[in-house]
Amino acid sequence: MPDIASLLAPFQSPVPTSWYLILSAVLFVIGALGVLLRKNALTIFMSVELMLNAVNLSFVAFARQFRQFDGQIFVFFVMAVAAAEVAIGLAIIVDIFRSRNSVDVDDVSWLKG
Amino acid sequence: MEFIVFVIAAAVSVAAAIAMVLQRHAMYSALFLVLVFFCLAVFYVLLGAYFLAVVQVAVYAGAIMVLMLFVLMLLNVARPESTDRRLASLRPFAVLAGIILIVELVAAVVSSSAAPSATAPAASGATTLAATPTVAVRATATPATYEPAGAVPVGHTQLLAAVLFTRYLFPFEVTSILLLGAILGASVLARKRPQLT
Repeated sequence: MPDIASLLAPFQSPVPTSWYLILSAVLFVIGALGVLLRKNALTIFMSVELMLNAVNLSFVAFARQFRQFDGQIFVFFVMAVAAAEVAIGLAIIVDIFRSRNSVDVDDVSWLKG
Repeated sequence: MEFIVFVIAAAVSVAAAIAMVLQRHAMYSALFLVLVFFCLAVFYVLLGAYFLAVVQVAVYAGAIMVLMLFVLMLLNVARPESTDRRLASLRPFAVLAGIILIVELVAAVVSSSAAPSATAPAASGATTLAATPTVAVRATATPATYEPAGAVPVGHTQLLAAVLFTRYLFPFEVTSILLLGAILGASVLARKRPQLT
């Protein structure tokens, strides 16, 4: 039936790249607010991971738009670097917890100790 | 169909991200972040990055978040975060900065997508199988351009690997050294120090 087809036409086209970029920006800002507003070091860490993932989303969106694999390769490397960063960061957090018995970033505001 | 899946996944991911930031318990934040990662895997499948979707679930949700949950449970920070904070008066400025940033980013995206020179030739037809114009400067060196329907007989992973191990071989090797450094660093940080008496 032509009426249904014309109604469904806007939904048949792929989602424009700008929508993915806006979603990536929203997730990035939510992650940035999480870094600014929270004081548990692990929650701040998770917000940083959210920011990295938001950037990964825009990389893949551009890779689809420009029909190249370079964006996906970059996401590959971002994931590898994020994994390395998480391992080291968590080791640091565990070390800090051992000496101060707290993961609040407010408690590590003094350099001594 | 792609539109409906995108809207649902976008709503779930944004709601989970906001819930992750606002939770008082860090454990719930971790679980909401896992939900965001799964939504991102859905987006990667929608964008045709099938290998990346699986790697996202396996590496991010399956390794990184598991590591974080282990540390969360090891440190036993189950007590909810106390709300008193020395810099609580600066909190509204952080929210204001966030609002300004999101308005700026959305405005930048909307204005660039509305400009006639910036409209992508491929954005309106992902189903076109004609030779797509590659925009990058070094496009001639790419062994394979990315066409969703053209990848079916060969395999998406094979095309991705053809680019990864030829053009990006050096960053690949450097990443392996980076991971080796991360292993060494984590081992050094995790060993027991002799107690200073």
